[in-house]
Amino acid sequence: MDQKILMKNEIGKLYIELAEEYNFYAPVKEKGNIVFKKILNPDDIVLEYFNSKVPPKEVLFPEMEVLFEYSLDGKDVEIQDRQDLDEKNVIFGIRPCDAHGFALMATFFTAHGDCEDEIFMKKRANTILMGIGCNEPKSTCFCTSLGGHPFQKDDLDVMLTDLGEKYLVETISEKGKTFIQKLKWLADAKKKDVQQAQELSKKSEESFVTKLDLTDIDKILDPNFEHPIWKEISDICISCGTCSYLCPTCTCFDVIDETDEYNNRGRRIRIWDTCQSCLYTLHTSGHNPRNSCIERCRNRIMHKFSYYPKNYDQIGCVGCGRCVQLCPVNNDIRAILTKIKNIEKEEEISA
Amino acid sequence: MPNPYIPMLTKVKNIVSENKVNDIKTIELEFKNQEDYKAFNYIPGQFAEISLIGKGECPIGIASSPTEEGSIKFTIKKMGTVTSEFHNCEVGDTVGVRGPCGNGWPMEDLKGKNLVVIGGGFAFSTLRSLVLYVLDEKYRKDFGDITVIYGNRDSGEVLYGDVLEEWEKRDDINVVLTIDREEEDWTREVGFVAAIVKKVAPSPDNAVAVVCGPPIMIRTAVAELEQLGWKDYQILNSLEMRMKCGIGKCGRCNIGNKYVCVDGPVFSLEELKKLPNEY
Amino acid sequence: MGIEIKNQEIENQMRELARNLLNEKKVDVIIGYAKGTVPLSSAPIMITNEEDIDKLIWNNLCYINLAKYLVPRIPQLIDPEGNNLKVGIVSKGCVGRALIHLAVEKQINLDDIKIIGIPCNGIINRKKVEKEIDEKEILEVSASGNDIVVKGKDFEQKFPFDEYINELCKVCKVKSPPTDASISEACVGECQEISNLEDDFADLAEFEAKSSKEKWDYIKDLLKTCTRCYACREACPMCYCNLCFVDQNKPIWFGKTTELSDIIVFHLIRAMHLAGRCVACGACSSVCPMGIDLNLITRKLEKMVKERFDFTSGIDSETLPPMMSFNMDDEQEFMLEED
Repeated sequence: MDQKILMKNEIGKLYIELAEEYNFYAPVKEKGNIVFKKILNPDDIVLEYFNSKVPPKEVLFPEMEVLFEYSLDGKDVEIQDRQDLDEKNVIFGIRPCDAHGFALMATFFTAHGDCEDEIFMKKRANTILMGIGCNEPKSTCFCTSLGGHPFQKDDLDVMLTDLGEKYLVETISEKGKTFIQKLKWLADAKKKDVQQAQELSKKSEESFVTKLDLTDIDKILDPNFEHPIWKEISDICISCGTCSYLCPTCTCFDVIDETDEYNNRGRRIRIWDTCQSCLYTLHTSGHNPRNSCIERCRNRIMHKFSYYPKNYDQIGCVGCGRCVQLCPVNNDIRAILTKIKNIEKEEEISA
Repeated sequence: MPNPYIPMLTKVKNIVSENKVNDIKTIELEFKNQEDYKAFNYIPGQFAEISLIGKGECPIGIASSPTEEGSIKFTIKKMGTVTSEFHNCEVGDTVGVRGPCGNGWPMEDLKGKNLVVIGGGFAFSTLRSLVLYVLDEKYRKDFGDITVIYGNRDSGEVLYGDVLEEWEKRDDINVVLTIDREEEDWTREVGFVAAIVKKVAPSPDNAVAVVCGPPIMIRTAVAELEQLGWKDYQILNSLEMRMKCGIGKCGRCNIGNKYVCVDGPVFSLEELKKLPNEY
Repeated sequence: MGIEIKNQEIENQMRELARNLLNEKKVDVIIGYAKGTVPLSSAPIMITNEEDIDKLIWNNLCYINLAKYLVPRIPQLIDPEGNNLKVGIVSKGCVGRALIHLAVEKQINLDDIKIIGIPCNGIINRKKVEKEIDEKEILEVSASGNDIVVKGKDFEQKFPFDEYINELCKVCKVKSPPTDASISEACVGECQEISNLEDDFADLAEFEAKSSKEKWDYIKDLLKTCTRCYACREACPMCYCNLCFVDQNKPIWFGKTTELSDIIVFHLIRAMHLAGRCVACGACSSVCPMGIDLNLITRKLEKMVKERFDFTSGIDSETLPPMMSFNMDDEQEFMLEED
């Protein structure tokens, strides 16, 4: 692992050097919201932030994305594949939880069927994740309850630690190592910088307010598919898509053809979709396997905390807390999980 | 690996209206590129994502058998936006095809077994594929007795009249056709599929039943099979779910942790009973 | 009297009323607000047991319009035989308006509803407070005197209440639920008879002074961060269509993407569908995860309906809204007008 120092006032320099080769994404403030955008002016980069409102998944899996374009000529059709998937990207400032979100997305997009989601996977392969650890987690953060850590390095290529005026830069992956080696002007880190970073990491971990015990949550969920608790959990849900759209691991999408009839051309696109919408599973016949809020809320929790462990041996939630902060009716996933955990306790008591 | 959302291109070779009300058509497709056709290696029971490019895409079971060389067929009922567009298409139109998708009927496991094929209404397409396949001279010897029970509301709804006629002429398959109510000139069985299953009483010994149809038909027919001593692992179903991608990415067709598009659409009753009742 | 003291009084009265309704079996379930798990929030709650009554709260963060849960009735509000349960619903002015309007649109029957009227003095503009606090974490929000007090790890900041409530609340003239002779049976608590509502819509002057291009630019800028999660629609008590126009696919009327033109079409057509129906609760803006404030658009439509048809939604339990009724002598010159 290489350990370097990046001064905060060198971010502009970093940007200028990288922007030639890479699409450089970083947090910016847009209408009061922190979001990851492709940077055109390094002065726009925001360095003081908890996390973005919309997760950086939108960089590699945007709300709307072209699958391919087509032109129509009488009975003939010509298809044009995406040409931009080889572009290189850097996501600067991604938080470790969201980087883990990318890992989970990649797991999902490669796990089922015979083919990978080539569009996502190519982009992911061409992207360097330059993450920044969280010195100050929010009270709604709960990554540590899910095996994560505010300074989790595993899913990053390069890890930055905010030391005040400067960042400690650590290379994690081979890809990250090669990437950082090109930035010859970065100074070497001193022992005390590394020490300071370790202290910050420890302090941050200790400051977590939300601590959930999620051990074996899947084993509680499975036999309780028909438990009345799901009715209680879904009581107040209004079936909007906030929780899933702002979730760094949700990947569901809808596919639509958009044709410009005048010019005989168009595009097949995918747009974000949500399992919380009634239309998501509605058959053309009118039958709907998840017709009410109860089934839909259950599916969201089951997918992340039962189906994920079953299929890929890990939980499908990173504990970023976005859905906690932004659910319109404050249907707090932490409270939901606690209720589910309590099913077991209640059963023990009654036994 | 190529972009998995890009379809192979085919041309409509032939269109056959399958029923009297004319809301079910079989569309025969020829691949524009022979390499694509070679790569389209399917077994009965699989489906494909077919699209009229610019109008949209939908998952449809493959009605042809791999033994019918040169083209593939899809039987499409006019239901929603895309299927209605398919009903407007003409010979020569371009159709996008992605697939084959899904697991299909477990042909290896069926070898050496007696087959009881039970179908109702429009859901007969992948059963057509299955029966044509096992009747093919190359494969017939691999399977035991073959019984087909196929029910419809009325005689105007019976699909695939031409192949049914061929099957009825053969002595290595027992074809039982039924309609719900008596009709003039109808010389076959009359009654719901379940009742005919009871009457035919297929033996479960060394046999597999393949059941496709509307939910009520499946429920009642399966109940009859159970009465006859059939076990859950001997009964196969093919499920339908709303799908977009067909390749396990878009998320919506899950039943529990299984995705119907890749883990199905074929499940044994034994497997289904282990899944949550959410389909 | 400070806001916190007033809220406390309201809360006590509300709990008392709710308790009585449950005890006297006048209702089967109470819908109200409970404390949220994060600052600047509250959570709707359904209560069937008297012991839970003290979970009911009232403060200036009760932003959800609870009438939402009545159309269509969620399963929790229906008995096993499929009949409507009797519901007591904690109602600030705009919840009351929504109930009346929904009754006029024949979506609910006020016979199986008890309106627990409370006088609301405004809902805190969550997004405005958050913007002021910027990238610091808010840990506690309370009211004190005439201020909203926001506390975090190393800071405490006060905001004048009157300035930091929703724009719609600033001009609200229906603080407690409207009532009249025909629906007074349904009302308990503080409700008010409203005969003629005067509103000069002075708050719109600034927007109206803009040129068409400036208005368009305002709308474009306002909506550009929309993710189309539809929280606005799902929180709106008047958005009860089985299938929203934007979800129809036979044919597809409108684009579903997050390209600005598609976003604008969705929001403007939704706004048109709310003309003369919006009850100015501001729930759409309060719940928007991206902090989009739709009030100017809906407020402008409210003004147009008031001027042309002298109609205000949710005040009068007898009169059909103008977009739902038809007269041979209806004016139609507006069809050609640029406004």
